[in-house]
Amino acid sequence: MQVMIDGNAVEVEPGTTLLEAIRGSGGEVASLCYDERLDPFGACRVCMVGVEGAPGPLPSCTTLCREGMEISTTDETALRVAGAVVELVLSELPEAPGEHTELAAVAKQLNVTKTRWTGAVHEKDEDLRHPYLAFRHELCISCGRCVRACDEVQGAFALTVTGRGFSSNVAAGVDSGFAESSCVSCGACADTCPTDAIVELRLLELAIEQNGSGK
Amino acid sequence: MVQGNKAMSKATESTVSTTCGYCGVGCRLEVHPENGVIASISPAMDGPANKGHTCLKGRFAHQFTRSDERLTTPLIREGDGFREATWDEAFERIVSEFTRIKSDHGPDAIAGLASSRATNEDCWAMQRLMRAAVGTNNIDNCSRVCHSPTSFALRRCFGYSGASGTFNDIEAADAAILIGANATDGHPVVGARIKQAAINGMKLVTVDPRRIELADYAELHCSMRPGTNAAVILGLANVVMTEGLTDEKFIAERTEGYEEFAALLAEYPPEEVERITGIPADDIRTTARIYATAENACLIWGLGVTEQRYGSEVVQLMCGLAMMTGKVGRLGSALLPLRGQNNVQGSSDMGALPDTYSGYRPVSDEAVATMFEERWGVGLSREKGLTIPKMFDAAVAGELKSMFIFGEDVAQTDPNTTHVIHALESLEFLVCQDIFMTETTKYADVILPASAFLEKEGTFINAERRIQHVAAAIDPPGDARTDFEILTSLSAALGHEMNLATPEAAMEEIAALTPEFTGVTYERLGREGLCWPVEADGSDAPILYEEKFHHPNGLGSFNALPYREPGEVADEEFPLILITGRRLQHYNAGTMTRRTRNIELMESDWLEIHPEDAERLWINEGDLVAVRSHHGRIEIPVRITDRIEKGNVFTAFHFPELRTNLLVGDSVEVNTGCPEYKVVAVDVRAMSEAPSDTPALVAAD
Repeated sequence: MQVMIDGNAVEVEPGTTLLEAIRGSGGEVASLCYDERLDPFGACRVCMVGVEGAPGPLPSCTTLCREGMEISTTDETALRVAGAVVELVLSELPEAPGEHTELAAVAKQLNVTKTRWTGAVHEKDEDLRHPYLAFRHELCISCGRCVRACDEVQGAFALTVTGRGFSSNVAAGVDSGFAESSCVSCGACADTCPTDAIVELRLLELAIEQNGSGK
Repeated sequence: MVQGNKAMSKATESTVSTTCGYCGVGCRLEVHPENGVIASISPAMDGPANKGHTCLKGRFAHQFTRSDERLTTPLIREGDGFREATWDEAFERIVSEFTRIKSDHGPDAIAGLASSRATNEDCWAMQRLMRAAVGTNNIDNCSRVCHSPTSFALRRCFGYSGASGTFNDIEAADAAILIGANATDGHPVVGARIKQAAINGMKLVTVDPRRIELADYAELHCSMRPGTNAAVILGLANVVMTEGLTDEKFIAERTEGYEEFAALLAEYPPEEVERITGIPADDIRTTARIYATAENACLIWGLGVTEQRYGSEVVQLMCGLAMMTGKVGRLGSALLPLRGQNNVQGSSDMGALPDTYSGYRPVSDEAVATMFEERWGVGLSREKGLTIPKMFDAAVAGELKSMFIFGEDVAQTDPNTTHVIHALESLEFLVCQDIFMTETTKYADVILPASAFLEKEGTFINAERRIQHVAAAIDPPGDARTDFEILTSLSAALGHEMNLATPEAAMEEIAALTPEFTGVTYERLGREGLCWPVEADGSDAPILYEEKFHHPNGLGSFNALPYREPGEVADEEFPLILITGRRLQHYNAGTMTRRTRNIELMESDWLEIHPEDAERLWINEGDLVAVRSHHGRIEIPVRITDRIEKGNVFTAFHFPELRTNLLVGDSVEVNTGCPEYKVVAVDVRAMSEAPSDTPALVAAD
């Protein structure tokens, strides 16, 4: 079938998502909870795009292409929503995300430099018990990528989201740390994490160097 | 746009794309070096085998490269120890000893082992060194002790020595039988792919004497008595035949020998198979139906099939099962051996074998030998050389005087350790080329410091027959050199100049001399590699046998091979059967993984024993026990688990202090000499109580 992306005709297979169609044709759309290795999740509302005739912006990762659909990656409302989401996410963090992180890249892509909202930020909560993998719970944005990578890529089912609302965070096992859980230390969680909430120890060092926030 | 974790590379200076040097899965890795050391490793999103994933070995276990125990200079024996030497001194010593031994005893008094951990180009240089510079076919590699039976059987039944498909068949299959492989530990990324496929609806049957992790995701788990694999397959084939689940068209058009095979199957009804294997007859029936009625199904196996007395026969029977149901030669219907090491496929493909040149062409083939003689400009032996076990026998008998062992710790990993050490001690001159001191280097006269996979260029071939590029991310430490440089310059010192300046030049020679590699160039390999055979135009073959088998008549061969008892059986003196295998956290001899923080995830090994056996023997969790076989004795702590069947015990072989292979005997596979690591009769006993750590009671104040 054919869809129009920013005015250009693009051929796609039935079953293709808008996000796949956009990126597959060389276009850009920001995202936070999306990882091509995982099933689309539709949680973060950052990959919003405008679609002609739709009542409002749509999440491109969970919307399937339809014949003749006209998609805009520069839709003002969509970009405003996405930017606001990223601002909200940043407002909960105790420090700016490390330059090498996906969150930092997404913020830059959406021209979000600071947040308009103030309020509670997460308190520092590090877990360094595993020889390779560290938790920095204060950086968790509850995107669920680590949990899904653990389930859908490795199949270790070691991670889960605990708590509600502002308190929701990721935990291994019954919050017992990686080593005591069913974790097989594959590192898929750290690999997909967009913020360093789960991070390889070596990269944690680098993040601390960059942010000057380490001890 | 940032996707996945490509952002990670931005945290470090640069990125080098290479192929993992641990197991045979062949994960593509993005290595991030910084100031000459590996800072981190992430998986390549476009890796055909790993698709953006890798395990804790590939991703994290790189710390060994900067261990201060790395060999950084050549060493020459002096008295009971070694002294540091220059490369010139080391080479002079090797040349003078090889020359002396050759003139006194002939070239066949020298033997070499290529390394299945090394690149194709390294293995190519090694076999050329032995054949052309030394003048003997005494060259082998450690596929001898793992998948040589697979290679033998696949060549006999189908034609090529390799998987009939790729790991992409796993996701395309509707069903799969996994036999004798604990994939989530031994081949973690493929294990994860099998698990995900099972979660997504592929009907999986696990056949293993242990209740492996994947059994929890299977439709059915069949637990056979160790050593009875042939009966299991014959039973499955019997059900397929008697229930009319055969693919008559496939049998008629594409195969030969079915009638004799079918006649043999009549002797293995499920009830008889239950008597032999211990698997309930109904489970045999169910498994056969799952496999045969699936539109597409795979057979996946590991060393639990091959490291047995009749391993090559079991693989031939599996080929028969696949052919009678027409399940070979298309996406989703494949036979997939899980090759043990990163390049065990390639080291054999390269002809680092005593009986064949590259592409499995016999050394006695006059036309082939002549072609190599013309290319290399030397006369070559037409006599088969010695296999690894025969090398040790010949050394003990005084016929073999010298060995060149490249990247293999035979004193830890080969069976019947006592015999291996006797052999190494009997040699007049032993050269080892390695990255660390090992159990084997203790017996060396000259030790050459070599390079790890992250420090050199070349190619590996994974279990999919996929040739993938290997790139250097860092330099070898100190005066250590790349293996390719060592072998080519040693050859020149021995009087045979290879004229191969780089690994790429070696691949050009391999392509020129080997039909399956004709179209291979580094440029064509690109990021995703090529599955051999590769045609002159560069087209490769992820799926083999789509239209015909690789035999002169194009037909696949059924071989009617009856079940026979394993080489060792439990008896009154040795009532339990020991099975050995891998653990997730470590890799084979542990030379690399024990020098990383993986050791914190698993610091020592244990013996797994069934609760009823433990109770009968008065053994408690954590007790130290003595394990005794016909061949040796070790001491090891116990873990009690019902994941192992009553009557069997299990441990790995990663820890040199435990010396598991002291227990393994000299029973070998009938066609290939592969040792029977998987069936060892043992006696397990509680040791007398260790001294108590509890302080003696003191009188209260």
